[in-house]
Amino acid sequence: MKRTSLIISLILASAFVSNEINGQKVITVRDKYVLLTMPYSERPLSLYRGQIQASAGYKFAVRAQSFNKEGDLVHLKDFGTGSVYHYYFGEIKFGVTDFMEIGAVTNFLRRGIRDATVTVVSATTTATERITVNKLTESKGMGDIFLYTSVRLPVEYRWFDFAVKGGMFIPSARYEPQKPANTVKAVSLASETSTTINLHYKNRNGYGVPVWLAAAAAKFTYGDLSVVAEWSVRDPVKEGQNIRWEETLAEKVFSYYDRSYTYLLSRTCTIDASLHYQATGWFNLSLNGSWFRSKGGWTEYWGNRYENPEKRLLNLEPGFELQISPGLTVYQVAGFPVSGKDSDAPFYLYTTISFNMFPFLR
Amino acid sequence: MKKTVIIYLFLALVAEGFSQTEKLLVPSDLKQQTIVTEPVTLRKGFFRAGLLLDYRVADRFFNDSGEKEYYESSSFGSKAAYGITLQYGITDRFQIDVVSEYLNKLQEIQNTEIDAATNTSTVTVAQQKGFGLGDSHIALKYQLIPEIERTFSLSGRLRVTVPTGEKNPRNIRSENQFDLPVGDGTFAVSMNLSARKIAYPYSFSVYAGYTYNFSGEKVFNTLTQVERQFRYGNLFETGLNASLHLNEWIVFGNEINLYSEGQGEIDNEAAPLLPASLAFSYEPSLVFQVHRFRLGESVRIPLLGKNVPADPLFVLIAQYVF
Repeated sequence: MKRTSLIISLILASAFVSNEINGQKVITVRDKYVLLTMPYSERPLSLYRGQIQASAGYKFAVRAQSFNKEGDLVHLKDFGTGSVYHYYFGEIKFGVTDFMEIGAVTNFLRRGIRDATVTVVSATTTATERITVNKLTESKGMGDIFLYTSVRLPVEYRWFDFAVKGGMFIPSARYEPQKPANTVKAVSLASETSTTINLHYKNRNGYGVPVWLAAAAAKFTYGDLSVVAEWSVRDPVKEGQNIRWEETLAEKVFSYYDRSYTYLLSRTCTIDASLHYQATGWFNLSLNGSWFRSKGGWTEYWGNRYENPEKRLLNLEPGFELQISPGLTVYQVAGFPVSGKDSDAPFYLYTTISFNMFPFLR
Repeated sequence: MKKTVIIYLFLALVAEGFSQTEKLLVPSDLKQQTIVTEPVTLRKGFFRAGLLLDYRVADRFFNDSGEKEYYESSSFGSKAAYGITLQYGITDRFQIDVVSEYLNKLQEIQNTEIDAATNTSTVTVAQQKGFGLGDSHIALKYQLIPEIERTFSLSGRLRVTVPTGEKNPRNIRSENQFDLPVGDGTFAVSMNLSARKIAYPYSFSVYAGYTYNFSGEKVFNTLTQVERQFRYGNLFETGLNASLHLNEWIVFGNEINLYSEGQGEIDNEAAPLLPASLAFSYEPSLVFQVHRFRLGESVRIPLLGKNVPADPLFVLIAQYVF
C-alpha cells in the first residue's frame, strides 16, 4: 500500500512539475513556422527549400536635385524642373533546394520630366507676339521581365554565407515610344497674340534588348549584427534599335514622323554594403550604402554614334524589416543621395510587402 | 496518503487552469488599445497628444474634365504640414479635440524670355514660399449610440475651423515674388456622423459630413493688393473604412473617401479661381500600437477627381495617451 501511494505521489508530482516547466522547452523542430519567422540575422541569403515568396513594392521618389558632370549638386526645383517618380515592382521567387532559388521580377514606372519653359517675344510698333514652349517628357509602362537563379553555399547558415546570382532581362516590354501628343493654343487680344506650344513626348519602359546580370553576395553575422555586401554587373547582349519621333508644325497642327536609330546600353555596376541590427526577433534595422556606375555604350544621332555619358551615384539608405505575421513582412527604405556625377539625385521612400509560404509543408 | 493525493491533484489542476484566468483590465491596458479595439471617443479623463506630418508635391492634377494631366510649364511645388492634435475625454462618450498645424509651402516657377529683335534672354524665377501657423480646428465628438456592451456605435462630431493662419500673401516684392498665404482666411463649421461596427479582428466604419464655409475677405491679386469678399463652396464628404489586425499590435487600414466642394464666389459671383472640385481617393495605412504609443503611416491616392491634385499625399502620425 505504501509503495502504491509512493508511485501515485510520484506520478502526480511529475504531472505538476511537467506543467510548470512546459514553458522552458527548447524548440528544436524546424517546421514551416520556425522557418517563416526566422530573424534576418539567422537567415541565409536564399530561400529555404519549398518556400515561395511573393513581393510587391512601391517607390516614390522626389527628383528635386541632380548631380552635374562635375559632380556638383544642382537644385532642379529652383529651375522649376523638379519632378516625381513612381516605381512599382513585383517579384516571385521559389526555393528549389535549401541552396538554390529561382525568381522573376518585373516593374512598372511612371514619371514626367519638365524642361525649362521658354517664351519668345516678337514686338513691333503695332503688335506683340509671344510664343511659349513647354516640354514634358513622360515615361510610363511595364518594364522587362528579369528571370534569375541564385545559388548559395551548400551548408547550414550559422555566421557566414556566400551566394552568386545570374539572370537575364527578357525584352518583354513595349519599349518604343508612343507618338507625341503636342498641342498648340493661341489667344489673341487686340494687338497681342499669345501662343502656347506644349510638347508632350511619351516614352515607354524597357531595355529593348536582352540584358544579362551577374551578382555575388556575402553575409556575416555576429550576434545581433549582420553585414551584407553585394556586387552586381549588368550588360546588354547586343545593340538595339529604337525609334525617335520628330514633328513639324504647320498651321497650328503637328504632323509626326519617326526615325529609327541604333544604340548600345551602358554597362552598369552596383555595389551595396549594409549593416543590420536585429533589435528583436521580428524587427531588423539596417543602414545600406548603395553605389552605382554606368559607363560605355553609345547612342546614334543623325547617323553618328555618341558615347553615353558616365553616370555615378552614391545613396545612403536607412531602413527596417518588420515581421507582421509568419507569412507577412514589411520592408521600408528611405534613400538619400550623397554624391554622384551626371545623374539624377532623388530622395525616395521604398516600401515592400512580402508574402511567404511553404505550400508543400504541413 | 489521501491528503497527499488531494494536494497533488489540486496543484495539477491549478497549473492546468492557469491559462483560463480572466485578465483584469486596468486603465493602463485601456490606454494601449488599437484603432480597431478602442472606443470611438476617449474614455473620461484620458488625454491623447499627437503629431502629424503630411507631404505632397505638385506634379499632376485632375482637370475640369476629370482627366489626369501633368503641370506643363516648368514649375515645382510642395506642401508639408506639421500638425499637433490634443484630445481629451470629458466623459466616456464626449470628447474634445484641438488641432493646429504649421505649414511649409513652396512654389517655384522659371521662365526664360527671349526677345526676338535683340536675341537677348531674360530668366524670370518666381520663388514663392509660405511658412507659418495654419488654420486651427476645435471639434466636439459625442457617442449618440455608445459602444459599451455592444459592438456598434454611432457618433456625431461638430467642428469649427478658426482662421489662425495668415490669409494674405506677404512680403510682396513683385507680381511673382511673395510669401504664400498659409491660411484660408475664413471660418467654417462642419457636422459629421459616423457609424462603426467591430467584429474583431476587423472594424468597419462609414461616415458622412458637411462643411459650411463662411464668407471672408482676402487678397487674390498681388498687384492690386486689394482685399475682396469671397466664400469657398460648401463641402460634402463621405467614406468607408475597413481595418484589420495583422497581429495584436499592427493594424492595416483601408479607406475610400469621396468629397465634393461647391463653386466658390468672389464679390458674390462665381469665380474661376475657386472652381467646384471633386475627389475620390483610396488610403491604405499601417498603424503600430506599442503600449500607449501609436505610430501610423498612410498614403492617400487620388483615383478620380476634378480640379484637384492627382499626387499621393503621405501622412505620418505619432500619438501618445497620457
